[in-house]
Amino acid sequence: MDYDPMVMDDAEALGPVVKISQADSVRVKYELSNADIAFANSLRRVMLAEIPTIAIDLVEIEENSSVLADEFIAHRLGLIPLNAEGVESLLYGRDCDCDGFCEHCSVRLTLHAKCTGDENMHVFARDLVPTGERVNQVLGTPVLSDAEGLGPLILKLRPGQEIKLECIARKGIAKEHAKWAPSAAIGFEYDPHNKLHHLDLWYESDPKTEWPPSEYAAWEEPPQEGEPFDYDAVPNRFYFNVESAGNLSPDTIVSEGIKVLQQKLAGLIHELADEGGNSMNGDYNGPRSPEYGTGADGFGGYTTPFGNAGNQSSWGGAGGTTPYGTTPYGAGQSSWP
Amino acid sequence: MSRARSKKEESAEIESDIAMEEAPTSHQPEDEMSVDQNEDEDAGDVEDDEDEEEEEEEGQRVRLLPGSTPTAASFEFLNEGHTLGNALRYIIMRNPDVEFCAYAIPHPSEAKMNVRIQTFECTTAIQALEKGLRDLQELCDVVSEKFIDARQKFAENSS
Ligand SMILES: [Zn+2]
Repeated sequence: MDYDPMVMDDAEALGPVVKISQADSVRVKYELSNADIAFANSLRRVMLAEIPTIAIDLVEIEENSSVLADEFIAHRLGLIPLNAEGVESLLYGRDCDCDGFCEHCSVRLTLHAKCTGDENMHVFARDLVPTGERVNQVLGTPVLSDAEGLGPLILKLRPGQEIKLECIARKGIAKEHAKWAPSAAIGFEYDPHNKLHHLDLWYESDPKTEWPPSEYAAWEEPPQEGEPFDYDAVPNRFYFNVESAGNLSPDTIVSEGIKVLQQKLAGLIHELADEGGNSMNGDYNGPRSPEYGTGADGFGGYTTPFGNAGNQSSWGGAGGTTPYGTTPYGAGQSSWP
Repeated sequence: MSRARSKKEESAEIESDIAMEEAPTSHQPEDEMSVDQNEDEDAGDVEDDEDEEEEEEEGQRVRLLPGSTPTAASFEFLNEGHTLGNALRYIIMRNPDVEFCAYAIPHPSEAKMNVRIQTFECTTAIQALEKGLRDLQELCDVVSEKFIDARQKFAENSS
């Protein structure tokens, strides 16, 4: 591949490398190497929180004589994974012209169960029936991945009890609510031997015997006895374990994750190109030619942050009212997991 | 037959709270400040606040912060966080024409992310930002392609 905007050494000339060690309908395990931790983490974050899926968002309960409260059941319904195949052709509720919901922005599901026998009745996700028009024939169908094909248990009914409700499933992302998460979990790991000392392992007497080796420990060279610490070392190989909740396939989660990142970037590039920075209301309008500033206020070579004309330096200006100056600079990054 | 309605709305509420907040922690140009004040006057009307919020979302998502010069600029991104910030910082820093690049999220309850770019004289901060976005897009393309290739190879080998 030809990704080499600023190649720094031979290994990087290869560009990022992806190696898959396991892939099935539930999970995909892969190694991303020759990439930076910043990019790897962006990919992890975007797969966790920003891939659109579909989940129950509105519940109208007509009859509920079960022991569970209406809102309790509504919450459980929200968390049931629904098939999100083709969700890209569904509109977000806020983008739709309709008033409330319609077939372009939602999928309707109904649940009606009454315990008529003399034993307790179990109501499963299987009993949620999609009704009405749908974008395609699978979108919004509850995911039934167990052997019996029942899906998650929603509630139990005693003889004579009844539940009747209608659900509206909408498109959304996990940043808004975790029920829209496509992944059940994403494993993210690097440096299995802790050579970089990014981890400070707790131990009783010896961390080597007390901490089990990672499954990727065999993939990387263990540290040599008495090896000096490499201060310049940076993580380079990242081990992902993307586990699907059933609404999207693990492969789709990875590709969709990258797609979401790209859409983010495309939107911003578009905005920059479109407005040419002209509506950016800063001290100067729009991009200037590279020659700008080499004249009157020209500093030879490059401009330091203090080379700013006017009564405030750019640092001073920023520090005055933004938390750049008032909180430790690293505050934003320290919450970075 | 009794009719109970359980409406689940976990969204929007938080955002409208932010809109009503006074004294934003990051730079607000004067004209935006006055919009905020108008909002406060009819703060009782929740629907109005939500409309304002939507308009803001559709509008500009990047803006240049005051105090910027062509080669040393701070940008404010709306509705972006560490996901874009750190990767963008990394890719912009790899541009040899860039002297300095860093990002910060000034306050966790404001959906804003700031990027500071200082370049050498051969380019401008805006050009460096645009190049960074394009480079990152290219990187995404490559990783996406490599993943699909690797997945296909894996499927061939295991069958
Ligand atoms: Zn609609």
